[in-house]
Amino acid sequence: MVLPRFEVIEPKTISEVCIELARLKNSNVRLLAGGTDLFVDIRKKILPEHLPRCSGCPPESNDPQVPMKPPEFLISLSRINELKGIYVDESTISIGAMTTITELTESDIIGKYLGALAQGADSLGSPLVRNRGTIGGNIANARPAADTFIPAVALEGTICVSSSDGNREIPADSFAEGPGQTVLKKNEFITHLIFEKYRNKYGSAYQKLANRKALEISTISVGAFLLLSDDLKGIEKARIALGAVGPTPILATNAMNYLQGKEHAESIFNEASKLAAKDAKPITDHRSSREYRLEMVEVITKRVLDFALKRALKRN
Amino acid sequence: MKKHITLNVNGKDHELLVEDNRLLVDVIREDLHLTGTKKGCGIGDCGVCTVLMDGVPTFSCLVLAIQASGSEIVTIEGISDGNDLHPLQQAFIDHGAVQCGFCTSGMILSSLALLNKNPSPTEKDIRKALSGNLCRCTGYQKIVDAVLAAAEIMRAEG
Repeated sequence: MVLPRFEVIEPKTISEVCIELARLKNSNVRLLAGGTDLFVDIRKKILPEHLPRCSGCPPESNDPQVPMKPPEFLISLSRINELKGIYVDESTISIGAMTTITELTESDIIGKYLGALAQGADSLGSPLVRNRGTIGGNIANARPAADTFIPAVALEGTICVSSSDGNREIPADSFAEGPGQTVLKKNEFITHLIFEKYRNKYGSAYQKLANRKALEISTISVGAFLLLSDDLKGIEKARIALGAVGPTPILATNAMNYLQGKEHAESIFNEASKLAAKDAKPITDHRSSREYRLEMVEVITKRVLDFALKRALKRN
Repeated sequence: MKKHITLNVNGKDHELLVEDNRLLVDVIREDLHLTGTKKGCGIGDCGVCTVLMDGVPTFSCLVLAIQASGSEIVTIEGISDGNDLHPLQQAFIDHGAVQCGFCTSGMILSSLALLNKNPSPTEKDIRKALSGNLCRCTGYQKIVDAVLAAAEIMRAEG
């Protein structure tokens, strides 16, 4: 038997999950979404050094190598229909936490309004991982290279969580505190994500750099969002999120502030990309060196800004 | 504690008592004796344990058996028509796409899901759909050729 012993609870509604989390508050409980990370983390390791999985984790951190303490209870979220689906209304786009990554890649709504997220979803793992993995799970795991987390930060997403104490909303950019660490309290869980729906004059893009095209964790990744002024020349708002260059997704605030209010041009994007590299705090690990990452943040940021601009202009 | 589940595999319902922590792949292989589904890395990298869960290619090594209760599972044993091989199976043989054979069941099931969704895939579509199924023998070209050929036969058969 590869997996340790645990008891599985399969609630049908969000309120049942809240009740179970409150009831089991003194036990070792884990939420089971797609299982593509959780079952890997809790299975007994054959080799002690089996799979260091976390890009951006300091090598001395005990986070990636030591198998997680096996949970006594797993609360499976896969039978809760309230947590599934992608919805759009007048002003917002809402994505249920248990929406699979494949559903994101196939959704017209995501493709139309949240281009960066569609690209991130499409580059995550492999088709088999995408079929099981969920956006809620990918974000709750809070890996600094997570392919839906970086776009969600760039797109200024809001993470909605529930618990027996009520609901609260957390901005995606302040959700992670470290690799695998989040601001979630022990009884809280993600129910859905909300994104603002812009009318037009906006575009977003995401790109990751990796050694392979599939089953790969980013060496670095960048997501960007641009909102243009009415004449399409000025940048009303810019957001740039960097992946795998720090313990959490990083907002390139210097680059964002620099872009805001300027007219878009090649030279402006070049300068912003240089600033983004200064915002990055990468380390050297088995995926790449610090120096290479810094160089590549600049290159990929420029590409992603160009892509986002192209999408913004094309929309009009 | 064991739980009672009904697992629908290849169109047949199986009433089973399983421990919470048993993986779908283990139940398929050890309880149902359907050993065409292989067990490889166990961590969702290699794809040899692929089965179709409600038509979707799924790692059976990362799904608990109790999670699969209520879903329709198809394994490699379920795609031929009696002794008549499925066009994909025949195409894999004809094109030399089976060498050691360990990846083959996963490859065929991922290909089948692709062809059900997209009957006329390009080579790029096939390579992308199979990017989660690793093969260390063939270099993939023969597999891609086989899927392209099977797609043509399946289109002709309607």
